[in-house]
Amino acid sequence: MSEATIIKDAICSFCGCLCDDIIVEVEGGKVQRARHACPLGSSKIMGHGRIESPMIRKDGELVESSFQEAYDRSAQILLQANKPLMYGWASTSCEAAEKGILLAEEVGAVIDSTATVCHGPSVIGIEEKGLPGATLGQVKNRADTIIFWGCNPAEAHPRHFRRYSSNSIGRFTPQGREGRKIIVVDVRATRTSRNADKFVRIDPGCDYEVISALRMLVAGKGDILPERVGGVLKADLAELAAMLKAARFGALFFGLGLTHSRGRYKNIDNALSLVAELNQHTKFVVLPMRGHYNVGGIGQTLAWSSGYPMSVDFTRGMPYFNPGETAACDLLARKDTDAALIIAADAASNFPRATAEALANIPVIQIDPYENPTTLLSDVVIPCAIAGVEVEGTAYRMDGLALRLRKMVDSSLPSDEEILMGILQSVRKQRQMMANEGA
Amino acid sequence: MRSIVIAPRNVFCISVEAENISPDRFAPLKIEEIKKLIVWQGNRQKILSDLFTVDGEDSPSKAEDMAIRLSGDFSNVKRIGEGMTSGAIEVQGSAGMHAGNHMSGGILSIAGNADDWLAREMLGGRVVVMGDAGNYVGAGYRGEKCGMRGGEIEVRGNAGAYLGEHLCGGSIRVGGNAGDFPGAANQGGTIFIGGSTYLPGAEMSKGTINVRGETKVLPSFQKMEIAQIDGTDYQKYLGDLLENGKGELFVGVAVP
Amino acid sequence: MIIRGGIVYDPSNGIFGEEMDLFIDRGKMVEEARGEEIDASGLLVMPGGVDAHAHIAGKKVNTGRIMRPDDSRLGTEPRNGVCRPSTGYTVPNCYAMGYRYARMGYTTAFEAATPILEARHTHEELQEIPIIDKGALTLFGNNWQVMECVRDKDLSKLAAYVAWGLRSARGYGVKIVNPGGGESWGFGTNVKSVNDPVPNFDVTPAEIIRGLAQANELLHLPHSIHLHFNNLGKPGNYTTAIETLDLLKDIKPSRMRQVVHVAHMQFSAYGGTGWRDFESKAPVIADYFNSHNHATMDMGQLLFGSATTMTADAPLEYGNARLTHNKWSNHDIELEESSGVVPMIYSRKMLVNAVQWAVGLELALLVDDPWKVLMTTDHPNGSPFVNYPEVVTLLMSKPKRDAEMASMHEQLQKRTGLGEIQRELDWADIAIMTRAAPARILGLPDKGHLGPGADADITIYNLKPEELDTSQDHSLVKKAISTAMYTIKGGVVVSKDGKILCTPPGRAFWVDAAVPQADTDRLMPDLQEKFAKYYSIQLSNYAVQDAYLPHANVIRAGLSIEPLQEVA
Repeated sequence: MSEATIIKDAICSFCGCLCDDIIVEVEGGKVQRARHACPLGSSKIMGHGRIESPMIRKDGELVESSFQEAYDRSAQILLQANKPLMYGWASTSCEAAEKGILLAEEVGAVIDSTATVCHGPSVIGIEEKGLPGATLGQVKNRADTIIFWGCNPAEAHPRHFRRYSSNSIGRFTPQGREGRKIIVVDVRATRTSRNADKFVRIDPGCDYEVISALRMLVAGKGDILPERVGGVLKADLAELAAMLKAARFGALFFGLGLTHSRGRYKNIDNALSLVAELNQHTKFVVLPMRGHYNVGGIGQTLAWSSGYPMSVDFTRGMPYFNPGETAACDLLARKDTDAALIIAADAASNFPRATAEALANIPVIQIDPYENPTTLLSDVVIPCAIAGVEVEGTAYRMDGLALRLRKMVDSSLPSDEEILMGILQSVRKQRQMMANEGA
Repeated sequence: MRSIVIAPRNVFCISVEAENISPDRFAPLKIEEIKKLIVWQGNRQKILSDLFTVDGEDSPSKAEDMAIRLSGDFSNVKRIGEGMTSGAIEVQGSAGMHAGNHMSGGILSIAGNADDWLAREMLGGRVVVMGDAGNYVGAGYRGEKCGMRGGEIEVRGNAGAYLGEHLCGGSIRVGGNAGDFPGAANQGGTIFIGGSTYLPGAEMSKGTINVRGETKVLPSFQKMEIAQIDGTDYQKYLGDLLENGKGELFVGVAVP
Repeated sequence: MIIRGGIVYDPSNGIFGEEMDLFIDRGKMVEEARGEEIDASGLLVMPGGVDAHAHIAGKKVNTGRIMRPDDSRLGTEPRNGVCRPSTGYTVPNCYAMGYRYARMGYTTAFEAATPILEARHTHEELQEIPIIDKGALTLFGNNWQVMECVRDKDLSKLAAYVAWGLRSARGYGVKIVNPGGGESWGFGTNVKSVNDPVPNFDVTPAEIIRGLAQANELLHLPHSIHLHFNNLGKPGNYTTAIETLDLLKDIKPSRMRQVVHVAHMQFSAYGGTGWRDFESKAPVIADYFNSHNHATMDMGQLLFGSATTMTADAPLEYGNARLTHNKWSNHDIELEESSGVVPMIYSRKMLVNAVQWAVGLELALLVDDPWKVLMTTDHPNGSPFVNYPEVVTLLMSKPKRDAEMASMHEQLQKRTGLGEIQRELDWADIAIMTRAAPARILGLPDKGHLGPGADADITIYNLKPEELDTSQDHSLVKKAISTAMYTIKGGVVVSKDGKILCTPPGRAFWVDAAVPQADTDRLMPDLQEKFAKYYSIQLSNYAVQDAYLPHANVIRAGLSIEPLQEVA
């Protein structure tokens, strides 16, 4: 057995927190321990249930193949399709995303990320109002008032409190949790609301009205409000509005509870306005709680490459963007796609059932380190090295900060980037052959 | 009138984009030339006659003298009549997304249903839908400040959510119900909804929204007097006060 | 390669409109060469354009794209065998930026503002911009470590930090934006003058600016400090501009260049006590530049139509958003900066906008020495860079200016003296303001000229300078300079008549400044403490890795070496 190697300041590639203080112990080519990581991150870094070989479905069965055979079959599927969908990207590097975007351009595909099923509405809200945000360190150093709206970091982002938000200690926040007011707004009590100084429980689907009422109160127009809005007493809302205005530095973190309840992007739109207006009284910032570790990165990469952060339709050779029409779930729900490449995401589990079923009726290529429900309906399965554990690369934290993921251990498998280039080369070769035959 | 009839050759599994189906594009062309106009199906560029039959009078005409009849199922054909300035399109069945995008004149009539983004960013002319319409009727493009600026849209059935979002002018009339958030950020257009809806006029600054049926009203609207319109009693509201709104919202008073 | 018979403007080498042949070998200008010949008989030939101040890469540029699909849908071009797809007008995608600069005859552009913490993102985008050479200026004006060194009057530690910061960011020079204001914005306030103390840091903007200027010269950096004034964009701010410039006039430059480059001077040359009596103070500013030699500026010209304002001056952007009731993005960067993005429409019917338009032109026309004024629009703040030809023609044609002013607010004549200015710039002035001067001001000895050893970056315009009356035929001039006949980058024809022929990757310039180890040793404990306590990432994950600069061009500077050869 080889000596244990210690990798310091490794970056956890599980959630949008991208904790970069992980101490990894590697022995015998395997990660033995990931100190500082939360249980979610640790289980990601330690690995589980890997796909071992490429597979191609023949006569209904997935049969092991070579990588080249898998690339060729994938290229064939993409070339035959009139409207291929390339979906996922949230759990791989920006370098892989760049290759994916190039492939999407060349085969005339629609490319979309898992944002479409999480913070897609946030993006549309930002298109309406902009995003008054900050890096997480700004919150840690300054925020004395923090609202968590429709999110539950205690369970979904376990180290968020201590590293960045409620319990963090910074230059102007030496008392940490003691010096802060924590407010939770949600439709139900959660582990996060248990940590709150004030918990405002609202009726499901009433976020928009509650935010409008808060905006009225912040603007000093509370007198015309009814006695109760969204299940909350006006007096309670007035107290909340006063807390927000009294902040020295406030931060609003929101999650799927706001993006996916009735009102969707309008909720975000309204919350962004609330934050903008609070800045007339104090300092306030707003941040989405991004889930998968690099769902932000695919958005950034797509934006600088194509002008748009998600749901980009390259079928006509130029980028077209219109969520509601070009998002993965729109295409699947309308059966308006005839092949799919799913990478670094589990589409079969992400989507609503009817939408996921549409996947079962078209050829599917999966690129993933792990077996998951998408594997079962795939026609080509290509295992990859794990970005951020076995491959270096760039990821964007939930606040848009780019970090370079470290390689911790070797892998005999190709990276996502290499696989996508393998498919792209096969696409070019097959297209050349078709052109030659045509001539 | 020069009449042209277009019919799909088969059922489209993958949607077709056919912004060239428009009186302005057809008018100067002979039938054989019209057949060669570009349409797209996914990433495949095709010509109109690959996917559709084209029949009608051969000699070119002015756009205002064009009458295009779309016979058969066009529910998966997008961008019909995009940018049309005059003439007429009659869709005998249903129309796909973005019918009448940017149109500035002429008449687009749809006997069946219209899909999402009907008459997005419309400037003028008239759109009539006998059935239902999808989301974003007369709305703007993502991130734009302005949706429809002029013209008339009439939907006899129900309409989806975000009806007339960012409306800057013109009028929309829905016979049935409308989905959530009609007339959001209305800056001067007129909306009439015969049935019910939910949270109309969010952030409207000008214009009028009239809801004959039931609706939940945002807390940022100020309740005013009862007003009579066409012999019916309406509760009047002023809003959206978050935008210092001078918009008027009328909600039908239920007859006990 | 040989370019035959062009009418060459190469101001750095004293060549002003001479017919001559140019020789290129292995990407460089040489005395003699063989090979492919381009017939440029009688045509205008200049070095490739150099843009010393534009916002082309990084977080705020991408934020502009993300919040503006309405802009991205403009200017869409499909991919072809050579080019990736293009999108956007004020916030183009990376590919469009490279192609559009190249089509216009520009071969170098510098991103004007990057916080160290987010420099990795900036380089991710820079490397995706094809064809042009590039670099990024690094923000220091609201940085905690900078303010602490300034407070402690520890110049050698400050210099060590600037060198470390540039190395960490792979940055090219010292950018200062609204010094002290960005830190104040951390708690929602701003500084109001150069002597207004920065809350919690016991320093003033004046001290920050002076300290960084001294450190800059101590380090012999190729570029001077690059300064965005306090109170930018506000009526009456010309006094802040003069006051700030006066702070720097006794500082000795370490190289043959300015001590301070003023970014987008137009936005800081305003009189009036508010928007109602808003007026141009360009003549006062121009007088100052005419009578002092320590400062240069770029215009930051505003043009009518769509723009996207983006700056590290975050409080300014909040003001913009409230004033125009537009969407607002803000981004504070822990320990370092703040920033904002707001879309904008400038209208010729709006008196304030018309005055701003006039101020930029007045500045360029009233400053006698074209080496002191760069032609820019502060892309995309005043207008996107694709409109540079409009600015050039306005500067070259009095009839064009008169025609434009005739369509504007009647009060304009009373708020600016532009109408009385007769000066029309010539091709020599333009070659200086778009080529020679930006290269000299940035400190790029191989750019902006065509002498032996220079990079073979050349523009050939389809325009005969000896036959065209630039004053009268301004529309022909504009057309000709909008699309270069040939753009040659590093000896390769990259664009011909607007068609992109190939897309070599551009190089990224950055400055590695050496400092005594003892100073770095004194600095590191400060930084270790900041990362342990205040930053949200680890020190070892901070610096930009070499992987992000696959085509790096390192320029050495610093305390321990002799100054590099000066620019001609």
